[in-house]
Amino acid sequence: MQSYEYYAPRSLPEALEYLAENTGNCRIIAGGTDLIPALRKEDIHPAHLLNILEIVEARGISETGETVRIGAITTFNDLADSELIRKEFPLLAEMALLVGGPQTRNRGTIGGNISSAAPAADGLPVLLSLDAELELSSRRGKRSLPLNEAITKAWTPAWDDDEMITAIKVNKLPPGTRTKFYKLARRKALARSRMTISLILRSGSGGEIEELRFVPGSVMPVPRRMEEVEKLLTGKVPTDELLDRAARAVGEEMVKVTGIRWSTGYKKPVLGNLFRIVLRQLITAG
Amino acid sequence: MKKRGVGYGSMFYGLGYGFSRTDIASATLALNQDGSIIARSGEVEYGQGSDTVFCQIIAEELGVDYIAIKLITADTDVTPDSGPTSASRLTFVGGNAFIKVSRSLKKLLHGVAEEILGENDLVFREGMVFSRSDPEKSISFKKLAGEAYARGVPAVVTEWYNNTTHDVDPETGQGDAYATYCWATQMAEVEVDTETGKVEVLRIVAVTDVGKALNPLNCEAQIEGGVAQGLGYALEEEIKEEGGYVKTETLGEYMIPTSLDVPPIEVHLLEVAEPKGPYGAKGVGEPALIPTPPAVLNAVRDALGLRIHKLPANLENVYQLIHGEEAGN
Amino acid sequence: MKAARKVIMVKVQVKTILKMTVNGEPVEVAVDPTWTLLRVIREELGLTGTKEGCGIGDCGACTVLMEGKPVNSCLVLALQAEGKEVRTVEGLGTEENLDPLQESFIKYGAVQCGFCTPGMLISARALLDKNPHPTTEEIKVAISGNLCRCTGYVKIIQAIQQAAQQG
Repeated sequence: MQSYEYYAPRSLPEALEYLAENTGNCRIIAGGTDLIPALRKEDIHPAHLLNILEIVEARGISETGETVRIGAITTFNDLADSELIRKEFPLLAEMALLVGGPQTRNRGTIGGNISSAAPAADGLPVLLSLDAELELSSRRGKRSLPLNEAITKAWTPAWDDDEMITAIKVNKLPPGTRTKFYKLARRKALARSRMTISLILRSGSGGEIEELRFVPGSVMPVPRRMEEVEKLLTGKVPTDELLDRAARAVGEEMVKVTGIRWSTGYKKPVLGNLFRIVLRQLITAG
Repeated sequence: MKKRGVGYGSMFYGLGYGFSRTDIASATLALNQDGSIIARSGEVEYGQGSDTVFCQIIAEELGVDYIAIKLITADTDVTPDSGPTSASRLTFVGGNAFIKVSRSLKKLLHGVAEEILGENDLVFREGMVFSRSDPEKSISFKKLAGEAYARGVPAVVTEWYNNTTHDVDPETGQGDAYATYCWATQMAEVEVDTETGKVEVLRIVAVTDVGKALNPLNCEAQIEGGVAQGLGYALEEEIKEEGGYVKTETLGEYMIPTSLDVPPIEVHLLEVAEPKGPYGAKGVGEPALIPTPPAVLNAVRDALGLRIHKLPANLENVYQLIHGEEAGN
Repeated sequence: MKAARKVIMVKVQVKTILKMTVNGEPVEVAVDPTWTLLRVIREELGLTGTKEGCGIGDCGACTVLMEGKPVNSCLVLALQAEGKEVRTVEGLGTEENLDPLQESFIKYGAVQCGFCTPGMLISARALLDKNPHPTTEEIKVAISGNLCRCTGYVKIIQAIQQAAQQG
């Protein structure tokens, strides 16, 4: 049986005050797509529930110079519909369109997705590839935290209990940069990702890779850029032989983190295959 | 690499319980004096359209508007036992019971109409009862019902249809286990991605012999649904259990096809009349889905030159099939 | 500015008055903060057209429109609907005056057991309100969050196409 006090403030200061007063006992609810099933399963028993969907300061997508600010309660459909996101960070819009189904995309938020710190949360690998930063707010003030420092352990955000994400900040990519998100899943909607690929590529005039950022998703407890693979390819012209070598390196990098598991026999080669397929698509699209 | 293949699956399926197992259906019709009809039967309508077909049969036999029939089904307080709703038996066994009971009521009313019209070869059509040789000699069905009531003719009739067959020879296994069989073949076209193990079904064509499609729209609908179910069975649906506990407890874990997972389905209804069936009809419930998995799996075999023996043919199992034991899991 | 609501926690959960608009009518109902919108719609308002298929957002049978957008009402806390406009299948049409989608679903055989139907109609209505002439692919995406086991989606998609063409 659940029993909590519910509070839905309209302003950020009220929310932060409530969070500070009830630290450790309070769960934040936004779209509820993760939280409500958890409440129903009795996995958690918060004494306080803070609904942040009415907080004006956590809404909206805006740009200031080179930085785009995405409010924490931006839904996946908001992301997919946003011209700014589609233009500046296509892979973010691509990811957003593939999460769950239309109904969950109208409720699930990017802040909630990050906060889950779930190995299969699709927002994380995409935003990590974009070097995103979190804007964290508390009664004590506001601070920025790079996303790769904010999530260091599966299911456990590294920020404090009295803090909440108010926005995600992403810097625009240099001109000529192409991006792609790919999701492998068991069916075409309402499916958790089996594996995802987040790729950002910029090539020089001679076809050599100037910049490559690659984050695989749903294959490690905490997603991160595969810098070893990126280094293998940066500065080079991607020949078939090099791509094959890189694909193998992808699998090996994954296993270095995860060790051998029941799914490794499948994931190790297929992750490399997907990396190679998506990178080739990006190269030829240019 | 993507490899394409085409495969076929064929089946025949016995309708009803067969093998001398009890297989009966009952139906009651009660005619009200205003010409409306209350029908009662034990079958369960859960969306497959049996109520629709039963009303169509009554309407066809008695020439009444199908909307004017009030049908009560599956209420054990008031409906006669018609056996379980399974074995794709409702149209065939239930339908035959409805034809029988409709004809019994018709016979009673025919007698009354004969007295009134002085003719003995009568047609029941479009709410009227009239002489075949002299159509001017007619009475409306509604009026006839009132007349029957006035003359004290009991207008409540119950009939049953016994579909129980003989058993096969216990020694040789030979004989007619079932009263009738439904036949179907489906074709599947697939594309297999050898780098991920993903099977994409591009197209399904389903040809099903239903004897007679009493309601073609509903027959198609049943087959389309069955094909989707067959796709899920072949490619993705899996109940996982561990130590006696079901691990795939939710609709998020036990995955059935979504609208984006079902390819174009072409349905052809073949009508080879079954003499024992109501107007030649057989059934289509389960036959809808049975040929789909073999068609899809045969198409996968055609694409890869390898036959999968481990279902479902999902990402891991297909990848393992292609790349060997260490791959997959 | 709303003051923080402080409640003395006792064993009995205190109910809160929820005010929202349902099918165009203002509604006030006392709810337990743990209730979902689905529960309120069905149990408190008696609008049982909306179905509970799974309760955890995996099937779409509970789909309603909230501020014009299709959502799983099992994943909305009742109190999160405060001040919002909600539309259920009862708000699409009446028996005397069916929504063109409802007529189309009947005409094209898109209803079998009917359990997914209210959710499908809501998702389809949301689609046609935003995009009156959708492609087949857009229709499929619009209903991709609504599971159906009976129809294979074929006649549902056809019915939506026909309703779009009609008007």
